[in-house]
Amino acid sequence: MEFKLEAHRIVSISLGKIYNSRVQRGGIKLHKNLLVSLVLRSARQVYLSDPCLGAPGAGGPPQSPPPQQQQQPAGDPTSGWGEALPRDSSMEQDPEPAGASSAASELPALPLALGKRPPEGSPPPRAEAVPEAPRRRVEAAEAERGGGGEGAPEGPPRARHCCCRRLGCPPHGAPRADCGCRQRQDDGAPPPPVCPRKRSASGAGGGPAGCLASGGSPVKKPRRDSEEQPGEEEEMETGNVANLITIFGSSFSGLLRKTPGGGREDEDGEEEESPRGAEAEEPGPMYCDKPVLRNLNPWSTAIVAF
Amino acid sequence: MLKSKILVIKYYLLDAEWVDSTFFWSLNRSSPGNFTPYLALLENMEGESIYEVDSEDGVGADIISTVEFNHTGELLATGDKGGRVVIFQREPESKNEPHTQGEYNVYSTFQSHEPEFDYLKSLEIEEKINKIKWLPQQNAAHSLLSTNDKTIKLWKVTERDKRPEGYNLKDEEGKLKDLSTVTSLQVPVLKPMDLMVEVSPRRIFANGHTYHINSISVNSDCETYMSADDLRINLWHLAITDRSFNIVDIKPANMEDLTEVITASEFHPHHCNLFVYSSSKGSLRLCDMRASALCDKHSKLFEEPEDPSNRSFFSEIISSVSDVKFSHSGRFMLTRDYLTVKVWDLNMETKPIETYQVHDYLRSKLCSLYENDCIFDKFECAWNGSDSVIMTGAYNNFFRMFDRNTKRDVTLEASRESSKPRAILKPRRVCVGGKRRKDDISVDSLDFTKKILHTAWHPAENIIAIAATNNLYIFQDKVNSEMH
Repeated sequence: MEFKLEAHRIVSISLGKIYNSRVQRGGIKLHKNLLVSLVLRSARQVYLSDPCLGAPGAGGPPQSPPPQQQQQPAGDPTSGWGEALPRDSSMEQDPEPAGASSAASELPALPLALGKRPPEGSPPPRAEAVPEAPRRRVEAAEAERGGGGEGAPEGPPRARHCCCRRLGCPPHGAPRADCGCRQRQDDGAPPPPVCPRKRSASGAGGGPAGCLASGGSPVKKPRRDSEEQPGEEEEMETGNVANLITIFGSSFSGLLRKTPGGGREDEDGEEEESPRGAEAEEPGPMYCDKPVLRNLNPWSTAIVAF
Repeated sequence: MLKSKILVIKYYLLDAEWVDSTFFWSLNRSSPGNFTPYLALLENMEGESIYEVDSEDGVGADIISTVEFNHTGELLATGDKGGRVVIFQREPESKNEPHTQGEYNVYSTFQSHEPEFDYLKSLEIEEKINKIKWLPQQNAAHSLLSTNDKTIKLWKVTERDKRPEGYNLKDEEGKLKDLSTVTSLQVPVLKPMDLMVEVSPRRIFANGHTYHINSISVNSDCETYMSADDLRINLWHLAITDRSFNIVDIKPANMEDLTEVITASEFHPHHCNLFVYSSSKGSLRLCDMRASALCDKHSKLFEEPEDPSNRSFFSEIISSVSDVKFSHSGRFMLTRDYLTVKVWDLNMETKPIETYQVHDYLRSKLCSLYENDCIFDKFECAWNGSDSVIMTGAYNNFFRMFDRNTKRDVTLEASRESSKPRAILKPRRVCVGGKRRKDDISVDSLDFTKKILHTAWHPAENIIAIAATNNLYIFQDKVNSEMH
């Protein structure tokens, strides 16, 4: 649990750093941003692999996402990272269905963008990644169902979903009333109690842990429609956050490129990226996200940050 | 001399007295097993002790960003964030005034780089001097290379102590004379004048780098030098500015595959075909330019396997090498990563022969250091002239020295508060819990804004230059004459 909290905190800090680096004098420093993105990736892995937060209904979504997953790994640069980890792709696959259900405008752009990237590296790692992801979801779901109290296995922590997912919670910003994770962190509670607290909150459905009720995004996606409006909103937020994570975490150069209005702020890879078909789409999702995200209140803080 | 002191005042916003005084330290050679540095603080000419003048304005621009002795140690150059270079010269020792023995005074100051704007990328190019490297002196003039993120400049430093007088057609100010007043011809003669140091840019090596230049290194052939940015290393000829050869290119075809960048590079001190570059992953690559024109393939790869027990979110960051220096002998390399300095033998690629912990107590605080960006600080390291002692900086204005032979290490502080006139620079200790002695600093009270990133050691003597934010400390071995 503490891994997940720590991971969440690190992810938000990292994203903040990446944003700040775009406005600093002298241009983006490649070395520092590379290191930050490595940390971001590690934290994201931990974050996603938290077994504490699985989600019920995992059986459903994994069937539908696979086609998207197929697309997605094409854009998945995990092989490019040199350490192809299935978890990375699972992370990317998470937001996929999440985004799909939430904002129609964002999602089509995103998988298209990612899909259009020429597949790099070796297909086999991706192929492995794909089946693993649904498997993991199923596991998560089972863990969710099965886990009564804080049976949260400490094993590979999976920050599949929790309020911490709402990266809109700025680490330095004022805690928002609807941000359950802020409470968590303020409590400074030891890991185990966090987990059951979340589950009970999700059982209560709404309130400060409403975002939790949305659950692990991919798994709970099919149930979104049945949830109440605030829950839906927050579901969308998490989906979009996850999109952001995908955008920022999956692609280093993509991260540097997807700067709204900044255009070519970093000098790296410009000439390579332009011929790629994805260039039109890659800034797309980011730009699409923003207007949509702006409509969501809790996102305003995130938008300010980015 | 007066002129240069005024420049110092403007530059450092400190009192001129600071320039007159230097700190001293020395190894206590009388007891060989006892590595006891001591400090003697000189008073200035008027007998006043050093005092600190806080400069609130322009502190940012005064932050020293690089320090470098020239090959004889007579000159010391510093570059700062404002693009200025200040050169200090060592006063020749004179028996008449032993107090001023070997003191460093300002020799010249000039603006090396200005802020620029890249219109194509809408980026501002910082004027901060990233590195200064001296060229070996080949005539009466001194030459140095200074670089910011994008442009390298070759500066020539010359002295003028004579000037011609007695022109026929011009008067003293250079105005043309009225010819009717010229009644006789005279031969202009050279008359002595106050020493004037002139610095002029001789070459500007621009547009060679897409990414930020992090290091330059002059080759032992004294004709070429290399400059390294995050992804490429270029070889230049000192006389040719419109082209350079790319000798290393680690840019991946797809930038998303980027996993490591070049962090530092240096030519071998004796073999003009060999150079080394370090990466953000903690590896060193030794390349031989004879092997091929493009040295993407290393001749030797120096890498130490990661200790799995120390794995954390930040393992990759702290393993990034921030500085690499060949030993004077050319046999060893010194690397600095965030928590350690390592000595590598060129003949052994599997692991360093020595590893010294600089501030291992920070290992548990990596997350906070990540938050406040301190984990990205790039510390430099230095060898002494005989390659027996290595030095590097740390936080709280501490710097560390490791004696490779005795395996003793010491932590010293570069600050005025801890230095009294004629006092001894006493070793500091950081306590991590347990017994706390008097004067120990606890880890939590370390000031992380006071960091010593840049240090330099005189090539032959025990004189070190420490840059502590916007102050320059020069520590000297006072007992050179006494102990031998």
